[in-house]
Amino acid sequence: MKKPVSEQFNTAGSQTRRFGVGMVTPTLIVLLVMTAYPLIFTFVYSFTDYNLLRSMKNGANFIALKNYTDLLSNTYFRQSVFNTVKFTLLAVVFEMLVGFVMALLINSITKGQKLMRTLLLLPYLLPTVTVALSWRMMLSPNYGIVNQVLTSLHLPVHNWFSDVKTAFGMVLLIDVWQSAPFVFLLLYAALQAVPEGQYEAARIDGANAFDTLIHITIPNIKGALALCALLRTIDSFRLFDKVNLLTGGGPANSTSTITQYLYNFGIKSLDFGYGSAGAIIMTILVLILSSLYIKRAMG
Amino acid sequence: MKKLLSLMLALTLGLSLIACGGSSGGGGGTAPAANDTEAATEESAGDAEGGVTKLSLILRAGTYAEVIKECLPAFEAEHNVTCEVLELSEEDLHTGIALDAANTQGSYDLCMVDGSWMAEFTANGVLANLTELGYVLDDDIIPATTTISYVDGNAYLAPYYGNVTVLLYNKEIVQAAGYDGTDIASLDDILKICRQAQADGKKGFIYRGDSQNNFVVDFMPILLSFGGWVIDKNNKPTVNSQEFKDALNFYLELIATGDAEVKDDLIASVDTGAGAMGVGWPGWYTPTADTTADYCAITGAKSAGAKAHNANVYGIWTIGIPANSQNKELACELLTYLMDKDVQKSTVASGGVPCRYSSLQDPEILATYPQYEVVCKALEGGVYRPVIEEWTQFYTILGTEMDSIINGVKTVDQGLDDAQAQLEQLMGN
Repeated sequence: MKKPVSEQFNTAGSQTRRFGVGMVTPTLIVLLVMTAYPLIFTFVYSFTDYNLLRSMKNGANFIALKNYTDLLSNTYFRQSVFNTVKFTLLAVVFEMLVGFVMALLINSITKGQKLMRTLLLLPYLLPTVTVALSWRMMLSPNYGIVNQVLTSLHLPVHNWFSDVKTAFGMVLLIDVWQSAPFVFLLLYAALQAVPEGQYEAARIDGANAFDTLIHITIPNIKGALALCALLRTIDSFRLFDKVNLLTGGGPANSTSTITQYLYNFGIKSLDFGYGSAGAIIMTILVLILSSLYIKRAMG
Repeated sequence: MKKLLSLMLALTLGLSLIACGGSSGGGGGTAPAANDTEAATEESAGDAEGGVTKLSLILRAGTYAEVIKECLPAFEAEHNVTCEVLELSEEDLHTGIALDAANTQGSYDLCMVDGSWMAEFTANGVLANLTELGYVLDDDIIPATTTISYVDGNAYLAPYYGNVTVLLYNKEIVQAAGYDGTDIASLDDILKICRQAQADGKKGFIYRGDSQNNFVVDFMPILLSFGGWVIDKNNKPTVNSQEFKDALNFYLELIATGDAEVKDDLIASVDTGAGAMGVGWPGWYTPTADTTADYCAITGAKSAGAKAHNANVYGIWTIGIPANSQNKELACELLTYLMDKDVQKSTVASGGVPCRYSSLQDPEILATYPQYEVVCKALEGGVYRPVIEEWTQFYTILGTEMDSIINGVKTVDQGLDDAQAQLEQLMGN
């Protein structure tokens, strides 16, 4: 016999569902307002010639894909995409390597672990603006400590951020210096969770340090490695503040990232329509890059 | 349940779109409203009833803001108000004023505006009409500095800080090359001094290579000395003209003697004698008899005996009132006070550079700060950057191409042709 509707409505299962929906709804609303709405707006603007000031009087016009075609046909934008991808790949590789070595080192020492851990984390705790300005002072051709050391060694002084050959490398070095501790922190936590018994078994079987690393340590922390790589990829791809403060994208566009390009050609001139199109392209690129890691991590 | 949830989500999205989109005046569906006067009036009335106690100022950080801040206490005491000052870098100041202009009720009552933003701001109704508010630019202000202040006979901005390009040089290096600073008569003299410095193991000419704006502005005095400019009288770009190419080729020779540095390093280089000279601004450096560096006006002559052009580029910081200010009358009183000749004269000791004869030709001031004679001459014969609405995009495009040329990625012809094509597209030619 079929139960009345009111009875069905009041069953424990439906009450639980209602409660669940009620609990999730506020989060969904916040997400929609804070994430979906700006994303939709950015997407809509990317098809217009919206300029913050000019559109106050005349409004924005729908220009279909013009912003996208302008961007993709612009050599400086293409160079910025290339720079960003190059920077992301190099930064992630170096940060993972340095962070991993740091984690292994700290995990292996028995005394002073806490102190070393704190000291190594310091660069990551500093605000990016402070880091950028400190490095700019250290590398200053006039009063920078680096050039003073070079001078005392009778080596030529170099203008690190104004030379096409060194500017990109310097920005990369500073980013690795600041972000490797983040990788260290995550991998160090993962290393703590590797069962000691596996290492003991390996030792009994006569495995050397390299074999232990390849067959025990890395397989045990591969989830953390993938997560680090994913987070660092997303973060490196959005690189802006260091470039903006240290080089402004120069010299000769050699350090210009997508965000710096969009700042110069979209935000500074208040051409938000053009900037929005760039932001959409950037989001797609980040998603493509990240999806590789996500797929790997989920699989 | 799914339907209910979908309905709720759709409602939320719809409400947020309506709320955040605001009322769109004019033709644009997505554009924010310029001025919702009704709401503004209501709010303003509320303020008036409670008594206005706060004025917000958005200023260019550095000496420019410092000298204004120094004058505020007297005004605050006299008018029973408090003034809140927000100090920003040049680019953030531009964006900050523009973003606030989109609001019905502005957050700022007085803003500092670079002369090159004038066209963009007045064309889009960002600034209040000072003439309508009763402010008059007096005759004591150097006339050339007020040329951009007016639109259709109405004043919108008052020239506050007389920044104008000067040649900042190291005294010792210049003397070693056989000059004393006052006799640097042409670009050829500048090149000669810089080459001598390079031969002596020092840097010659130092330029700012850290942003598109700096690339363009540092080059402009050289371009003007060659009789060139970036646009013609019909606002058509002229960056691939022969004058421009000649000037850029000369500039490449000149900067090959030195290095690209950021502003602080440029000043330090010239001050310490690591470098010979560079284009600077009076706001950067206060020379005295004891300092190692000094500055002079660029004569505008390419070589000895050649025609001298007006080659000093204005970087004048003007002050104005945002059109959406909630306290325009009081802000106008503040602006009038800050522009007062005695108040402006009092700022000289703190690094202020008024665009006024009464300050720059004052015998007492000149006795302590003789460099103001140079500044006064430079201000009398200065040139504003093009007063065009697209100036930000213009210098970004030109500066990017100049960066490529200077760093050897493009040839002069190739880079300037590329810049010309992009600028013509920008200007709709």
